[in-house]
Amino acid sequence: MAFLIRSVTQTADGREIVRDTRMEKDVLGIGRAAENEISLPDLSVDPRHARIEMRDGRRVAVIANGTLGFEVDGRSTRNTVIDSAKGAELGFGGHRITVAHDGDDVTLTIKRVDAVSDAEEDRDEAAAFSLEGKLPGRRLTAWALVAAVLIGFLAIPVWTFMQGPEKTIYERQAQHSWSSGPLSAAHHSLENNCESCHTQAFVSVRDEACASCHKDVHNHAPPDRIAGARAKPTAWKSLLQTVARTFGKPGPGACVDCHTEHEGAGRMAETKQAFCTDCHATLRQRLADTKLPDAGDFGTAHPQFRPTYGQTRVAMATQIPSGLKFPHDLHLNTSGGVARMAQTLRGRYPFGEALDCKDCHKPSADGVRFRPVEMESSCGMCHSLAYDNVGGTVRTLRHGDVAQAIADLRASTHRASRPPALDGGRRRPGQYAQRQVYSAYFGPAAQRGSDYAVRALFSQSGACAECHTLTPAGGSWTVAPVVQPGRYLMHGWFDHRAHQTETCASCHKAGASGSAADLLLPGIETCRTCHGGEASKAEVPSGCAMCHSYHADDGAPWVPSRPVGRIREDAASNRGRERR
Amino acid sequence: MRDRDLDRRGRVREAAMHEGFLRHRNFRWLKIATALSLAAIAGYGFADVTPRPNGGSWYGYTLGTVAVLLILWLTLLGVRKRWMTRGRWSLKAWTSAHVYLGLSLIVTATLHTGFQLGWNVHTLAWALMMLVILSGIWGIVAYAALPKALSSNREELTQTQMLEGLRAIDRQLHEAAQPLAPSQAALVQKSLEQNVFAGGLFRRLSGRHRGCATAKALRGIRREGGQEKVQSLLERKSGMLARLRRHLQLKAMLEVWLYVHVPATFALIAALTAHIVSVFFFW
Repeated sequence: MAFLIRSVTQTADGREIVRDTRMEKDVLGIGRAAENEISLPDLSVDPRHARIEMRDGRRVAVIANGTLGFEVDGRSTRNTVIDSAKGAELGFGGHRITVAHDGDDVTLTIKRVDAVSDAEEDRDEAAAFSLEGKLPGRRLTAWALVAAVLIGFLAIPVWTFMQGPEKTIYERQAQHSWSSGPLSAAHHSLENNCESCHTQAFVSVRDEACASCHKDVHNHAPPDRIAGARAKPTAWKSLLQTVARTFGKPGPGACVDCHTEHEGAGRMAETKQAFCTDCHATLRQRLADTKLPDAGDFGTAHPQFRPTYGQTRVAMATQIPSGLKFPHDLHLNTSGGVARMAQTLRGRYPFGEALDCKDCHKPSADGVRFRPVEMESSCGMCHSLAYDNVGGTVRTLRHGDVAQAIADLRASTHRASRPPALDGGRRRPGQYAQRQVYSAYFGPAAQRGSDYAVRALFSQSGACAECHTLTPAGGSWTVAPVVQPGRYLMHGWFDHRAHQTETCASCHKAGASGSAADLLLPGIETCRTCHGGEASKAEVPSGCAMCHSYHADDGAPWVPSRPVGRIREDAASNRGRERR
Repeated sequence: MRDRDLDRRGRVREAAMHEGFLRHRNFRWLKIATALSLAAIAGYGFADVTPRPNGGSWYGYTLGTVAVLLILWLTLLGVRKRWMTRGRWSLKAWTSAHVYLGLSLIVTATLHTGFQLGWNVHTLAWALMMLVILSGIWGIVAYAALPKALSSNREELTQTQMLEGLRAIDRQLHEAAQPLAPSQAALVQKSLEQNVFAGGLFRRLSGRHRGCATAKALRGIRREGGQEKVQSLLERKSGMLARLRRHLQLKAMLEVWLYVHVPATFALIAALTAHIVSVFFFW
């Protein structure tokens, strides 16, 4: 009945050395200190950690001396009684003591199980010195990212497309990651609706997609004419076209050739001049029967304007049958009688020192052109049609209605005096003061009866003939129609409002015109003082689209509309450009 | 001794390598890459594209095709480096081309975008490519600068030797600490249990080790006036730890870029796939 202490140590090459010591004692000390019967060189063990007492042949008690306990079969305790026949394992720091019964002895097998230090622990050196385990593995990260990108940016958008046009806001958003850039302001509402233009997968955007909304867009010309008009592409362009065709892009002339999208919010990019000049610069070489002269760069290769007057095209410096007698030079003269009269009437009308264009020519509501000059409001400021005065109220003849004028005149000759203005007399500046002028004119004709008054009115020296050309026609007169076209250039667009910084006279030489038959339109040379071709150094570089519309109609050429509240201007390309 | 010799030879080879692949054939690939970039810039200036340069113009598609072929070829370095060969297409030549052509992608692919960047899959591909290139630049800088620091820090010790030294000093410390009182023994035990490889990426890269058990043990035992031998052993251990940690830090800096470069390359190829498919899908 004794303790058999069996200490097991390991050599460097892993061999076990077993050393047995028999102790005929009832109590054994366990601890770090050398005086213990079981001395454990273990810093986790107290110098006198515990003791083992023999209780009888089989049972031993293990009792901690201090506050530090020990482990029995993995459980911490400070004292325990062990039946050595059943066995147990005691744990002190990095050492294990196995309690067993062998013959009459209680055997205590002591073994160091923990390494002396962490550095002693077995580890894969290459892995320990690398970043392995510090970061997610490269392969794992790579495949996780690949999966995330392919699902998020490929599978989901494709799946969303397959769902058809009805989509939730999330599905639209998922698909939106494919958008290469914001749509222009005009198409902003389609931003999350890819299928409205990209109707089929792997098929480029077709004209039909555009036409599904833009139902009333005119064709520029019949397709066969356009095909015939198109210049033969250079070898390079032809190569590009072949490649584009190979990849299924729509041929030249498709909507998207000109109207490019996904170029950023704001205005849609404008069309380059070359888009027009590719055909029009040398059109006659290919379309022999065309009525259009060749037109290229505005600054260098654009034909003179061909204004339309009535139904026909006329030359620039030509005489037109305006139907009116109106010398501009006389009316704009700053020192003649007209100017004097304007000065006199300044209190009543917004005249300056002399008459000015604006006194008669009023802009249209949109400011693009001018309204026809009206006799009553413009000419009538000076050229009165007054013929009667009833109790201080002046009666005037109806302008533009010969029969009515005759009837009015006949009806009033029973009593009233008539202004000599109607029968050849002429008002003079200074006489046209408050109502006085009328009483001065009312008189001579009245005494001679209604027939005389009517004849006098329509005579060559009468009030009407002063401005109009009259032809007698069976007891009445026909007045030659006055033509005041609002627009002369039917295929080009000229916007007066865009030219407000200029004076009228800088383009229209009205001050030197003695006849209303003079066509006072400026020629292309006048325009070219400011405007040049798209790439020119002129003050206002001007592409074709500034004046001409591809989808020809009567309106202004199509210009990308200005977005509300979100403007990103390309200052250079819009220099001098007034948007509408 | 043999080990040390081998290590020195390795270092010499390494130095020749890093100098080699950057200067390979008198900067041949630098010249080729520069020419490619200049050509791309010149083309960008002269190409007649409407309405403005972008990835969807003929020039954009050309640059895009060049860029994607380059990217795929650059990725092949990962495959190529597993077969060592000599000559014109030696691994060194390949690496040199990889570096310089990779850098030229900054020009080619950015011009391909026409500077139209946004929150979409197309810009994702571009951004991932830039991430790959930037991490690659880090890698080149690391390879050029760090091996010198690494070897001067090691002073001809191998990693195994460093670890062996630590073990030896731990064993001595364990022996010397046996007579210590429990409180001091506990401090030494903490130092012995200390795992020099513990801690996350940040600790590795920063080289900061606050709360180091060995430093604590040294302070504690000095304060309590413990055994001189234990103190000097702890001091020696501290020195060894500092060297080992610097070594780990430098090695981490040498390695960490690959943890970005490689996964980002794969993500880039996935994003490129999505980019190209999406372009043709919504053609």
